[in-house]
Amino acid sequence: MGGYGDIQMIDENGLRVDGRNATQVRPITIETGVIPVADGSCRMTWGTNDVIVAVYGPMEAHPRKIQRQDRAVLDVRYNMAPFSTSDRIRPGFNRRSREISKVTADALESVVLLEMYPRSKIRVEIEVLCAEAGTRCVGLTAASVALADAGIPMTDMVVSVASGKVNDVVVCDLNKEEDNYGEADLPMGVLPNSGELVFLQMDGDLSPEEFQTAWDYNIQAAYDIHKIMVDALKTGGAN
Amino acid sequence: MAIPMVSKLLRNHLHELALNDQRIDGREQWEGRPLQLEVDVLERAEGSAKVTMGDTIVYAGVKFQLMTPYPDRPNEGGLMCGAEVRPVAGRNWEPGPPSAESIELGRVVDRGIRESGCIDVNSLCIIPGEKAWQVILDLFAISDDGNLFDAFALAAIAALKTAIVPCEKFEVGEDYPLNVSKIPIMCSYHKVGNRFVYDANSQEELGGDERIHITLGEEYHVHSLQKGLKGIFSADEFAEIMERAKIQSSELRKLVNTVLGD
Repeated sequence: MGGYGDIQMIDENGLRVDGRNATQVRPITIETGVIPVADGSCRMTWGTNDVIVAVYGPMEAHPRKIQRQDRAVLDVRYNMAPFSTSDRIRPGFNRRSREISKVTADALESVVLLEMYPRSKIRVEIEVLCAEAGTRCVGLTAASVALADAGIPMTDMVVSVASGKVNDVVVCDLNKEEDNYGEADLPMGVLPNSGELVFLQMDGDLSPEEFQTAWDYNIQAAYDIHKIMVDALKTGGAN
Repeated sequence: MAIPMVSKLLRNHLHELALNDQRIDGREQWEGRPLQLEVDVLERAEGSAKVTMGDTIVYAGVKFQLMTPYPDRPNEGGLMCGAEVRPVAGRNWEPGPPSAESIELGRVVDRGIRESGCIDVNSLCIIPGEKAWQVILDLFAISDDGNLFDAFALAAIAALKTAIVPCEKFEVGEDYPLNVSKIPIMCSYHKVGNRFVYDANSQEELGGDERIHITLGEEYHVHSLQKGLKGIFSADEFAEIMERAKIQSSELRKLVNTVLGD
């Protein structure tokens, strides 16, 4: 959170820099089956975020020491392509992508029925081709769709969305400017069928009331986004 | 990249098909897969392209950085070309530092572009000895069904052709399109069974032998060659694929020009 409170990002009508109101989510498209060689795949555009996810498996887990006798291992990798941001990113793993890979894996492990595939491995590859803000939310949501596209049994799909605070106003789904100069960011991973959570992070500064508002915005947005996900899985998606 | 077991059945099958002038996916010997080239597909890149060849899909993105020219070449900027085949592109591609395969990919594409002289490195200089542009071309595969070389090379030149030098962002003047004067084109041939074929798919790569990559410029000037993998070929075989490369590179160059609207 940059916390530059003097930059005006909400106008007198309560509209944001990209013309949305406080609860509006950026435009979303989801397309399945975009990687022909993968067992399941998904491309999700969310604002100018463009994320591609491939799922491979269940397949043999090797080396054998990583195998679990009672369930599958979920191998999740989040990565940003070198050309995905304004300044080029040097290829290779970094602390940020490693953390996001881990929390994404933790969220997905909560819903994937891993015990159905003992001693095997399921690979989830999240590649950010174009980043705006909230790529971890896009990656986690798209990964859920790709897993479903691969036919991997799950108790629910994770819908991830972030709300935050800009100029002391709580807003849903931060864009790039709001993410850079806003005062708080609260990404959540929601299970739409039960209303439960599998992913939660936060940084910034929120009062208890603001926190509750941001929480409620996320839950509501998750239900709306879930409809798009289900629709994409039924039709192949992308309109 | 993990090299999967090559089944004798696949090798024998490909060999028999070749004897009957057939290919495993029904194509003719010199026939490429359906090809699609799109440009300006990546919002944050200064130039970009996406190539779909059958089930092979790759992206190329161009970024710019300011650099200090090398002391022995104070009037020149730089060009850097790297290929990454991340595990997203197929089950045999593994995470970790770049594999020998992806380094070879990047270097062969790099040579074709560099040696064609399509980018005038002197024009990348801003202040001699002090400041110059480094053009960074990143090749990124998302689906590997064979012949990443040609897909990367085509995406690379198309991305460069659409690149805008971001002077305003770096506060060194006004943005202008990168001057790319030529269109080098790579054509790759794979020995499958007893003969070479054009644009091998992943099964043909797996059950085939050596591959030869030819990058041709305007008027059929040769800019890069690479023989990869184990295998022996004759001068006559090479002469035959060189003739094919002349025809096919001309067709691909026309496609690039059509897509770019030149």
